[in-house]
Amino acid sequence: MRASIIITLLLGLLAPGAEGQRPHRAGLWIETGGGIGYVRIASSGSTTVTSAPGSTTYLSVGVLLSDKVLLGIENAGFVDEMLGFFRGDTSSIAQTWSLSVVVLWYPWRSGVFAKGGVGVAQGTFTVTPTGGGAPFTARGTGVGLNFGAGYDLKISRKIALTGCVCADIAGIGDVVLPSTRVDDMIASIYHVTIGITIR
Amino acid sequence: MRHLLAAFIAAFQSDSSPAPSLPRQPLLAVTQSVMLNVVVNRIDAWAFQQDWANSGTRTWGRNLRVGWEWDEDQFGTNLLMHPYHGGLYFNAARANGLSFWEAAPVAFLGSWTWEYFGETDRPSLNDFFMTSFGGIALGEVFHRLAATIRDNGSRHRVVREIAALPLDPMGWLNRRLRRERTSALPNPPEHTPGALSVRLHAGARFIVDSRLNMSRGTPTVIVDFGYGDAFLQPYRAPYDAFRIRAIIGDRGLNALRATGRLYGPRTRHDHLFLVNQRFDYANNSAYRVGGQSIEAGLESHWRLPSGWQLRTEGYIDAILLGGVDAPTVGSGKRNYDFGPGGGVRFRVELGRRGRGYFAFSGQSEYIHAVSGASADHFLGYGGFEVTMPLGSSIGLGIHNTTFLRRSVNSDRPDDVRRFPELRIFLTWTDVTRPRSDP
Repeated sequence: MRASIIITLLLGLLAPGAEGQRPHRAGLWIETGGGIGYVRIASSGSTTVTSAPGSTTYLSVGVLLSDKVLLGIENAGFVDEMLGFFRGDTSSIAQTWSLSVVVLWYPWRSGVFAKGGVGVAQGTFTVTPTGGGAPFTARGTGVGLNFGAGYDLKISRKIALTGCVCADIAGIGDVVLPSTRVDDMIASIYHVTIGITIR
Repeated sequence: MRHLLAAFIAAFQSDSSPAPSLPRQPLLAVTQSVMLNVVVNRIDAWAFQQDWANSGTRTWGRNLRVGWEWDEDQFGTNLLMHPYHGGLYFNAARANGLSFWEAAPVAFLGSWTWEYFGETDRPSLNDFFMTSFGGIALGEVFHRLAATIRDNGSRHRVVREIAALPLDPMGWLNRRLRRERTSALPNPPEHTPGALSVRLHAGARFIVDSRLNMSRGTPTVIVDFGYGDAFLQPYRAPYDAFRIRAIIGDRGLNALRATGRLYGPRTRHDHLFLVNQRFDYANNSAYRVGGQSIEAGLESHWRLPSGWQLRTEGYIDAILLGGVDAPTVGSGKRNYDFGPGGGVRFRVELGRRGRGYFAFSGQSEYIHAVSGASADHFLGYGGFEVTMPLGSSIGLGIHNTTFLRRSVNSDRPDDVRRFPELRIFLTWTDVTRPRSDP
């Protein structure tokens, strides 16, 4: 009996809405999810680029501004536990965090959207000395930009699965580590995410 | 709270329609912004023999692989010329019937394609910010100014078209393609904003550098322009009310500031909550500061006897990216820093029938450098402006302002500068008010 109630509730939740494709998000909406990607770290005066894979999580909430435009606030984080500042080194942990105002634009009646935002970004780098000892942490705070494109796949009247191919750019200034100093650091994170959107 | 949210949403919904007199052609807008990059790149490569313009598949691949950096261009190039260039992308979209919000992504697209494919240098993050956000601000201001100057019913139509050309070349090009420059079409709605005000100041400016203990006087012209009036006209679309100030002096264009209303209430009221976009550029012989900001605050209109009025405004702002002097530090060849920040400002103005006679203002900003010196910059700007009427339009103006900069460096002593400034002017003022104004 209990199982049938749960199945009925789940089917009700997953059944497509009667009104068709639109609106994918309306009124107040909330989206959360995660994904995989890689971070690319560059600095001024050097063409050496450090990159490594990692995982991302995000949470965003917002409102509908018009038929095609949504406004929201997004909190995103990226963790890379295999970063190194020179070839063969994977001893560092890089974490970036951002809080942005984002605009989502649905140009057509389908669930396809383009996304762009600007806000605050912070990068944290934890390095464990090769000879042992306490890890060293350095931080940089600055400006963040994000943009990308995605798709809302509606699975019920109030819920959609949301996929996005996105880029987060974080200009976080100088980061000083025991072994190196990185001037005017820019971390570019390219990631593919999947999330759930509730409206 | 719910009503505030509803009003906010309704305000943005209003601008989803394009200008009524133009067909909406997004594909043509994008094509023109990309073609603009090709034309500018080829002119720089062929006519001016610029090495940086010889980009190709090799540099494109390198740029896509290596990614962003901060560049070392001059202050005027980065904080004025790039926003102007971004305005061309934006106005390619506006001239093809796209609304303000629809044109904004075109500015970002034009800037992104230029940064990755238009130069041999790596894509510059500061250029992307300044070209995109600055392009939206200057683009919309110039789009509306050009529409005000052009007049399809005027006997001096050709002169007006030429006068508007430097402000909005993409608008001029599209009017030419559509043969609108000579056809008897009605003017677009932007041509008549209702309230308009122009004040010209011509005189001398004396500025002191406290560190160098040096002062200098230069002939200076100031142009103040007001388009629309937030108190007389409820919000309809972004930038339906904006103000600009241009200062022309010893270095040509010494300052350009624009503040445009992005959001406001849709009813007339004496106390308004406004969200503005702000463009700031100051580059004179004493100091340099500029950037792209969003501000939110309250403007109030207090009615006094005999037609006098007091206008007060207070704002908090977020600097998306600013540039500020960092003499002897900076980054490479560049002697200024880039960074985000925030601040507050206020202004009190006493006036009568749209003409200001006494104004008192102050502004405080913080910029955290993310490119250049390891520094935090604290900026202060304040002073008063008095205009004594000598006739219906003529007056004598005296401005006294002070700019302060305190740079807190992590690896060297702090740098504190103070720049008092005095300006003495003859002023000419012209104000047009909507007929409904009492």
